Amino acid sequence: MFGNGMTGDPASRISDLLVPKASFFTWLDSLRERLSIIGPVAEEGRAVFREIASSGELYMEYESTMLSPGKVYLCSPREDLFRLSFGKGLSIEEPPRDSAQRIIVGIHACDTNAVLYLDRTFLGTFRDPLYEERRRNTILIALNCGTASKNCFCSSVGTGPFLKVESGYDMLLTDFGEDYLVEIKTAGARRLFDVDDIRGAGHEDFRLKDEKERSALRTFTKTINTEGLNKLLRENPEHPVWRHTAEERCLSCTNCVMVCPTCFCYDVVDEISMDMKTVRRYRQWDACQDTRFAEVHGGNFRARRSARLRQFVTHKLDQMHQYGVSGTVGCGRCITWCPTGIDLTEMAKQVQGK
Amino acid sequence: MNKPRLGFFKYSCCAGCEFQTFYFQKHLAETLAAFDIVYAKMVLRGGAPEGPFDLALVEGTITEAWQVDELKKVRKNSTLLFAIGACAVNGGIPAIKALAPELEVEEKVYKDLSTIHSIRPQPINVYVPVDGYIRGCPPGARDLYEALTSVLAQKKPGFLTYSVCVECKLERNICILVAYGMPCMGPVTNAGCGALCPTYKRPCYSCFGAMKQANAPALAHKFRKLGLSEDDIRRKFTMFDANSAESRKAADFSED
Amino acid sequence: MNPLRPVKAILKKIRRETADVKTYTVQVGEEFPGELSPGQFNMVGYPGVGEAPLSFSSLRDDGCIEHTVRVVGAVTASIDKMTEGDELLLRGPYGQGWPMDRAGAGDLLLVAGGLGLAPLRPVIREVLKNRDSFGDVFLLYGARNEKNLLFMDEYEAWRKAISFHLTVDELVTDERWSHSVGLITGLLDSVKFGGGKTQAFVVGPEMMMRFVCRGLMMRGVHPSKISVSLERRMKCGIAQCGHCQHVGFFVCKDGPVFTYKEVAGLMDGLL
Repeated sequence: MFGNGMTGDPASRISDLLVPKASFFTWLDSLRERLSIIGPVAEEGRAVFREIASSGELYMEYESTMLSPGKVYLCSPREDLFRLSFGKGLSIEEPPRDSAQRIIVGIHACDTNAVLYLDRTFLGTFRDPLYEERRRNTILIALNCGTASKNCFCSSVGTGPFLKVESGYDMLLTDFGEDYLVEIKTAGARRLFDVDDIRGAGHEDFRLKDEKERSALRTFTKTINTEGLNKLLRENPEHPVWRHTAEERCLSCTNCVMVCPTCFCYDVVDEISMDMKTVRRYRQWDACQDTRFAEVHGGNFRARRSARLRQFVTHKLDQMHQYGVSGTVGCGRCITWCPTGIDLTEMAKQVQGK
Repeated sequence: MNKPRLGFFKYSCCAGCEFQTFYFQKHLAETLAAFDIVYAKMVLRGGAPEGPFDLALVEGTITEAWQVDELKKVRKNSTLLFAIGACAVNGGIPAIKALAPELEVEEKVYKDLSTIHSIRPQPINVYVPVDGYIRGCPPGARDLYEALTSVLAQKKPGFLTYSVCVECKLERNICILVAYGMPCMGPVTNAGCGALCPTYKRPCYSCFGAMKQANAPALAHKFRKLGLSEDDIRRKFTMFDANSAESRKAADFSED
Repeated sequence: MNPLRPVKAILKKIRRETADVKTYTVQVGEEFPGELSPGQFNMVGYPGVGEAPLSFSSLRDDGCIEHTVRVVGAVTASIDKMTEGDELLLRGPYGQGWPMDRAGAGDLLLVAGGLGLAPLRPVIREVLKNRDSFGDVFLLYGARNEKNLLFMDEYEAWRKAISFHLTVDELVTDERWSHSVGLITGLLDSVKFGGGKTQAFVVGPEMMMRFVCRGLMMRGVHPSKISVSLERRMKCGIAQCGHCQHVGFFVCKDGPVFTYKEVAGLMDGLL
């Protein structure tokens, strides 16, 4: 346990440092004996987050990945919940927990915000111990984005390109060429970050950071105007954009949901052993685009594809009522990975009559 | 509890599903131990084709009249009847012949038609009520296991209904359709294979058939944009699923 | 402690209500939380078939709770096969129940369609127990036919304390029937409840609730004083799995009981 942001350590400005990249990566490599290090690497021309053996594999300039590291490493795609067995009486066993100690390095602002969003689901009224343990055992080293890729719209929803929240993660990196500006957010990370080759970051450095942010903001091509959008979406449930897009383009393939870093839905499945003695109860990511998702006996609340599409899009765009924050972090993955290129910002614009 | 009595029946197909069930699948030993195999040509000489069966597994497309008669008898003698494999579930490969007039197809294949008594190819649910569908060519491990254990546990099986894309993402595969422009049928294909082909960077060819409410025309349109010919698109949607409404819509779409 | 972890419970008694509905008296142990309120639900299940949300038809009494269940899916089918003494798994209680704190403010109107009588039964019992804390109480209950009536042996006691009106959609036997025939909305006109302060608890098929709620509004009941109980697919019951979501809320956590004002015209709903 590192006492990262999740546990409520005092947050802001524990220390701000300027660290040569080489020293930063040497430090990272020195942790490998104790921790599993997850970071962005290039595989066949695509960036993915996976465990690395050396910081040399890292591809910190990546634009976006198909799956967000937070969702993959904190909400496992599939995991066992219980082993139930029949015998003299029913018995319930919990499998050993995943207690691996991890660092996720290079997680962008949008994806860091997505983790904070997942916290609302899994560490809210009901705490999920599997998520909680992984979250507690994971150090998040966020990275501010220097350039937007073509489907990014985080700047429109306040989740990027530079990370603005002060807690819930451990360190924040900004690329300063030869150096990283390292902002340490938790006491745990401060203890862990035992690098000598550092100098304190000053006023000038933060002015440079602001400049970098402004230049990053200029690279955005996609925007969404969220003002009044909640109300508009609510008042136009039968807007033709839902039906048209559902008929002409939506494949119900669930790619949008699967790649969404804030989509948290899961299914719980029982698998009985052939000898009828034990049951494996596991959960896996589920998607509101599946025809059975909202099915109950005698009816299906979202039997139509257009209703399912609308559920996804409105859940992303109109979320203030559920958690008081936007449901989208503007990462643009649902646009990038939709086989037919459905774009929720375009759909919003149509509802807005633009 | 007595072991459930199992019968396995084969119509027009490669017999791969029976092979899979009794020789290849992961839970083979448990299957053989849990069921009383009453009739299955590949593992049992003779047997009792008249049943009765607690579970009949039926593979193959119906392409001859005698098969219809026998299938109806099997249905009558079985408490549960599941279609197993692409052929029995949606017509499979043999249903390709539904795309041309019967006589034309027969003349293409046979010199002497006097002994040929072929009828239009149909999945088995055209002729008898079916209690469950174990999709795939060959059947997917997950659904086969779910079917067999559900019969043993006397519950309704929960077959997968979502697309192959879900399984692909659970495997964390990079989407080959979007990333590499491969004409993958995954988005309209019912899951169950565990995203076998895309995991090896091969586009899905829909051997599990179209999922419910598949939007095949929209995917066909995408394939056109990728530069596929009309013929290629038609073949993609009719290889295993020539009879389904979804596939036909996609094939028609690509004609205009 | 994993909130998804169920606890064991023992089926103490099974009572057949109708051809496809039974009431199960379930003994719950210490692990099961003590406080539960009318309108809440449990996730009830059995290994191999999963879990389903089932509302309470009676609150804890002598260490037992009750669920009244119709066979509709895998979970209910497996419960249906059980016999007294069998074990099952459950967890709960979950959700927001009926606004009992407001129920005594004026007249109370309980409207149940079909199996919807089950989640109102704890309310009726509460009224019977503390009769003086409530104003005039009306129970309107509509069933498909006279063979589908639930809790028949309790009607007499109910009638002594509250005004009970019964209707069936159709009659299927030749037995004498001294109650109404027709839709439940028809009963609304036959009761005289007192205007603005009336609270209404409505539960049944969503389409029935839609028409009852509209009927009540026409009789001057404000939508914020009408409560409805929604039924949705649920896998977790704890606001995580997302199946019961409508944009903005989880039915499992924020409901299943909502005011009509909150859910009228809900996207993808029938209200």
